[in-house]
Amino acid sequence: MRVTRAVVPAVLLVVCFAVPSTPQEPPAAPPAAPPSESTQRELQAAQDLLARAMAEFEGPQQSRSIVQFDEIITRLEVLRRTGTLPARGREILSTAYELRARAYYNIGLQEKAADSFRSLVQLNPQYAVSKERVSPKIVEYFNSVKKALVGYLAVSSKPAGAKVTLNGEFLSLTDFFPLEVLAGEYTVEVTREGYRTETRTVSIAPKATQTLQVDLTRTSASAFVVTQPAGVEVWVDGQLRTTTTGSPGPESVETLREKGLDPTKASARTELANLSLGAHTLEFRKKCHEPVKRTINAPEAQDYETEPVKMEESLASLQLRSEPPGGKIFLDGEAMGITPKDLEGICSGKHRIEVKHTSGKFIQDVQMNKDESITLDCPIRPSLAFLGVVAESAAGERVAPEVEEKLTENLSAKITSLNFVPAPRDAVDRVLEAEKLTRRSLLPGGGAEPDVVKKVTEKLKAALDVQGFLLALLPGEKLQRTAVLELLAAGNTDPDSWDVTFGESASYMRFLSAVDRKARLSRPWTGLITVDTLLHEGVPVLRVVPGSPAAQAGLEPAEVLTAVDGKPVKQTLDFLTAVEGKKAKEKLSLHLKGAQGAARAVDLTLAETPQEIPLNDPSLLYNKVMMDLRQQVDGYPGTETAAFARLNLAICAMHFGDFAAAHEHLLKARTELPTRPGISQGTALYYLGLALERLGYKKEAVDAYRAAAGFKDATLFNNDGPSVAPLAARRAGP
Amino acid sequence: MTLRRTLALLLLLPSLAAAQSTSPEEQARGLLEDGRNYRTQGKLKQAMDNFQTIVSGFPNTSYVDDALLEIGRYYLEVDGDVAKARESFERVTKQFPQSDGAPGAYYYLGRLTMDRASSAADLDDALAQFLRVQRLYPRSEWVPRALYATALAHRKSGKLAEATDDARRVALEHPSSDAAPAAQFELAQDLALGGEFRQAMEEFQQVRNRYADSEWAPRALDRITALYRLYGAGKPAFAADPAFSVGTGDTLKDVRGIVMTPARTLWVASDKTKSAVPFGPDGKMGPSLAGEDLQGVGLTPGGDLVVVAARAVRFGPKTLQTFAIPGNKPGETEPLEKLAAAVVTQGGSVLVADEKKKKVFRFDGRYQYQGVFGDAKERQVSRIVLDSEGGIVMLDRDEKTVRVWDEAGRALRAIATRGPGYDLRKPIDVAVDAFRNAYVVDEEGAVLVFSPAGQLLASIGAPELKKPRAVALEPSGAVLVYDEKLQRILRFK
Repeated sequence: MRVTRAVVPAVLLVVCFAVPSTPQEPPAAPPAAPPSESTQRELQAAQDLLARAMAEFEGPQQSRSIVQFDEIITRLEVLRRTGTLPARGREILSTAYELRARAYYNIGLQEKAADSFRSLVQLNPQYAVSKERVSPKIVEYFNSVKKALVGYLAVSSKPAGAKVTLNGEFLSLTDFFPLEVLAGEYTVEVTREGYRTETRTVSIAPKATQTLQVDLTRTSASAFVVTQPAGVEVWVDGQLRTTTTGSPGPESVETLREKGLDPTKASARTELANLSLGAHTLEFRKKCHEPVKRTINAPEAQDYETEPVKMEESLASLQLRSEPPGGKIFLDGEAMGITPKDLEGICSGKHRIEVKHTSGKFIQDVQMNKDESITLDCPIRPSLAFLGVVAESAAGERVAPEVEEKLTENLSAKITSLNFVPAPRDAVDRVLEAEKLTRRSLLPGGGAEPDVVKKVTEKLKAALDVQGFLLALLPGEKLQRTAVLELLAAGNTDPDSWDVTFGESASYMRFLSAVDRKARLSRPWTGLITVDTLLHEGVPVLRVVPGSPAAQAGLEPAEVLTAVDGKPVKQTLDFLTAVEGKKAKEKLSLHLKGAQGAARAVDLTLAETPQEIPLNDPSLLYNKVMMDLRQQVDGYPGTETAAFARLNLAICAMHFGDFAAAHEHLLKARTELPTRPGISQGTALYYLGLALERLGYKKEAVDAYRAAAGFKDATLFNNDGPSVAPLAARRAGP
Repeated sequence: MTLRRTLALLLLLPSLAAAQSTSPEEQARGLLEDGRNYRTQGKLKQAMDNFQTIVSGFPNTSYVDDALLEIGRYYLEVDGDVAKARESFERVTKQFPQSDGAPGAYYYLGRLTMDRASSAADLDDALAQFLRVQRLYPRSEWVPRALYATALAHRKSGKLAEATDDARRVALEHPSSDAAPAAQFELAQDLALGGEFRQAMEEFQQVRNRYADSEWAPRALDRITALYRLYGAGKPAFAADPAFSVGTGDTLKDVRGIVMTPARTLWVASDKTKSAVPFGPDGKMGPSLAGEDLQGVGLTPGGDLVVVAARAVRFGPKTLQTFAIPGNKPGETEPLEKLAAAVVTQGGSVLVADEKKKKVFRFDGRYQYQGVFGDAKERQVSRIVLDSEGGIVMLDRDEKTVRVWDEAGRALRAIATRGPGYDLRKPIDVAVDAFRNAYVVDEEGAVLVFSPAGQLLASIGAPELKKPRAVALEPSGAVLVYDEKLQRILRFK
C-alpha cells in the first residue's frame, strides 16, 4: 500500500507532537533533579537518532526508519527502567513509539503497530495522536488500542488546589476533570499544606471512570492581612512570610474607608497560610516606615481576619558639612550630591554615609530615628592603604601572615586622623606587576628608581583611591619581634620608618600618637613682640609688626604690657599663653603703661598667622604631614590656605632632600601667596632660591634671592619670624 | 652522681642555656642602655665598664661604635685625656664609617680641635670635621650639633655673619634638637656682637619663649636686660639702686678690684684685709682667699677666680703662681715682683702686666715664659680683662687709653683718651660686658660706657660717685662700682 505522506518539515512535526492534543492537560509535574552527564549524552544521541529517523520516515523508504526507532526505543527504555528518564526523554520516546507504530501500520504490520501504540499509551496514558497530521485510520487505530488500556480518574477536593499522586507519582491538582490513566490498582494521595493528607485506593478499569471527592481536614490556621501602603513585608515569628501587594477588591473598599484607610493605597487581602495553632507575633516592615507589631491568636484551624495595618512614614533629615567642602555624598552607596548639603526625607534606620573627596574621605554609620534632624560634620581624612608585610628572611616569611594580622588588629580603627584601609591584594599586584615591581621595591634599597616609585605610588593612589601607603618590613638582621612600619605618601619616595614590636599592643601607642599628631599650620596672632627684662614690672614692647592686629590697635614700642584679660603679665610667656588660648577673630584685652607711666587699656582682635613646618622635627612623620597638606591643597584650591599648604609641602620635600619637588611646589606657592607682611611671596622666593641652589642652578638661585630681598616685610617661620630680606640679600651676595 | 645522670645533665645544659640566653645583639644593647643610664646617674666608672665590655666582649655587634663614642666622651669629659679621647673617636670614623656613631665621632673630633684651637688653621680643621657630619650624614641627629659647633667655630674665627647664619639654621631647621637652645642663644649673641641689638633682643627672647626650661633661658634674660638698658628705649640710663648694700668694715677698705661671677658671687679684693672676699647673691660673706699686696681680681674663661697680688697670682683656690722672665744672663731668671694685672686667655695663655717692667708678658698654660705680649712699647697696664670674643682688653694708665688685642698680640681697637663727650683723666679700672662694651672707671668721678667702636654710650657718676676705684658687671648689665671715698660698693641698674 502506498502511503501518501505530506511532506512536512521535521521541525514542524516535532512542534506538532509537542502541542497538546487534548483540551485538558494536567498541570506540569514538580521539577525534577537535573539529569546526569551520561543521561544527557544518551538523550543527545537519541535526539540525533530521532532526527535521522524522522528524515528516513519522511523519505521514500519509510520502513527503513523502523530500525532507527528501535534503537531509540531500546536506549531510552533502559533509562526508563532505571528511573532516570527525564521529561524530554519521555517526549522523544513517545515520538519514537508513535512513528514506529505508524511505520509498521503503513507497511501492513498492524500487530506490531498495536504493540508500539500499547507501549506508547503505557508510557503516557494521556497521549493523543494528532488528527490534523495523521491519517484518520491510524488515529482511529491508536484510539482503539488506547481504549483498551486506559480508564479515567477525576478527583475533587475541598478545598481545591490539593496535589494528587498515583502510587507516588504526581498526577494533577484538584479539582480536575477525568484524566486518562492506565487501568489498574492505585493508591491515590491528596495533599495540601495546612491540611491532613487523605489516602484512597482506587481500581480503574479500561474505559471506566473513577471519581473521587475528598474533604480535607484543616490542620493549621490562616490569617488575612491588609496593609496601607502595599509592599509591606510581613514577618511571622521572626521569619519573612510574604509581602503585601495588589489592591483591595471592591467589596472591601467601604470597610477599609470606615477603618480610616485609603483604598487606593491599601494592599489586597493577603493570606498568611499554614499558621500553627497558638499565638504568633506579626511584624510589618517597610522601608521608610515605622514598623508595626501585632500579636495574633489562632487557637483553631480556621481563617482569621486581622485589623488593617496603616504604616506611618518614618523619615529623618540630615545636614552634612565637610572640611574641606565639595565632597561627593553617598548614602548607602547612592550618590546624593555635594557637601554642604541638606538631605530631607531620609528613611529612618541605619545608614552608611560616605563623603568622598579628592583629598580623602569620610565614612560613618549613622542611626537615624523618626523625625530626627542630624547635623553631621564630616572631616575628610586622607586614606592610608595597608599594602602588607615584606619579609627579608625565611624566618620573616614564616611569621608574615601573623604579623599582618597583628598589625591590622592594632592599627585598624585606632588611627583617628586617617582612614586605615587594607588594600586589595589583586589591585596592588596588578599595578606593581605592570611596572615589574614588588612591594619591597617601593622602599629605599628596593632597587627601583625614585621616579618609578613616584609614578607607581601615584598609580596606586588612583587605583585604590587613597592618599598614602603603609608597608611593614621584617628586617632580616633584627630579631623577629620587630617590624618596621614604613609610611609613604603618594608621590613621595622616602618613607617614614617606625619600629614596633608587633606582638605588643603597647608598642604601637607611640606610633599611633605620632600618626595622629597634626602639624601646627597656623596660630592666633597679635604682631606684638615683647621682651623680658629685669628692669620692668611687665614686659616692654620691642616691636609691632606692620599691619598686624597690634599695629591696628595703635600699640607702640616702649610701652610696657602689664596685664592681659585681667591677668598680670610677668614675662612674655604669660602673654603668649593667653594668646594661644584664643582663636583668630577673638578679642584680647591688654593693659599697658606708657613711657611716662600713664596706664591705658586696649582691646585687640586676634588674627591668624600661618606657621611653617620645621625642616627637621624627629617627632613628625613627614609623609603623614604631606598627606594632610595635600588635603588642604586639594580641598581649598585657589585659597591662601592652599598656598600656605604648598609652601609647607615644599619644606617637607626639602626635608627629604627632594629639591626638585620643592621647586615645583614653590613655583605654585609663589604666585598664590599674599604680598602683605609676614609669610608671603617673599618667603616662597627665598626657599625657591635655596632649592635652586641645591639643584645647582646658581644664577637662578641668585635671581630668586634678589627677588626675595625685594619683599621687605616678608618673614620666615611665621608672621613674627626673622625677616627674609637681609637673609636673602646675604645669600644673593654682592 | 652516676655516669648516666652526668651525661644526661651534660646533654641538657646546652638546651637550657639556649632557652635562657639572649643574643649577643640584645646583650650588647642592654649593656649600652645600662651604661648610658649609669652615666646619667653620675656612676661614671660603672658606665665606662659597660662600654668597655661591649667593645671587648661583643666586638661583632652593631653597638661597638656607640660604645667607642661613649668611651671617647668619658676620656674627654671626665678624665680630660684628649689623646685617648681622640684615639677612641678616630677608631669609630675609621672602622665604622657607616655606623650611627660615626657622625658623633666626627663631631667630637671637631670639638676637640676647636676647643684647643690656637690658630686659624686649627679652626679650619675643626670646621672641616663639622662639615663632614652635615654632608655625609645629613639625616643624623648629630647634624644640628655640628651646625651649632660650626657657628661657634666661625665666631672664633671672627666670621660673625657666617656664625649668625649657622646658628639661625639650627634654630629654624632643627628647632627641637638638643642643640637648638644653645644655637638660638648663639644666634642672638652673634646679632648683638654684629650691632643688631633689637634683633638680638628678639632672638634672646625666643630662647625664653621656646626653651623656657633650658639653662639658656635665665642667661637670655640677663642679656636682654643688658641690651635693653643700653639700646632698648632711647638713651641708656643707669640709676643708682638705693637698696643695694654689700660688705661692711675693712672688707670695703682699700679695695683693689671687684668682680662678679656668672653665678652672681661678688668677689671683693681688699688690701686692708689682705684677702679676696666672696659675697653670695644673698649678700652673705663666704670663705676668703688671702693675698698680700693685692692688685686686682678677675675670672678665667672657665669662670675660676684670678687674684692678682704684686708678687704672685692665684688661679682658683689652689694654685698660687709666681712669674719670672729670663734674666740678663743666659740661664738666669728674674722674678716679676710688681705685678699689676693678670689674665688667662681663651687660648690658655697667661698674660701678666708688670708695673716695674712696664710690659705685659705671656706665659703658657704651664706658666713657662713665652715672650712679651703685644708691641714693644712700654705701657703701664693696670688692668687686663677678656671680652666675650677672647679679645684682650688692657687699660694703660699712663696713656689713658683702653686697647684691645687679639690672642696673637695684634692690636684690634682702642678707646682714645678723649673723644666726643668724654675725656679720660684718670682711668683706673675697666670691665667688659658680654657685647664687648667697655666700662672704664675714671677716678675723677665717673664710669664711662663705650661701645666696641669706642663711642661713648653712657656716663655713670654724678652725683653718687665721688672717687670710683673699681668696677664689676652683673650678668644682667647692672654696674657695680667701688667708691674709695665712700668706701662703699654702689649698684647702678
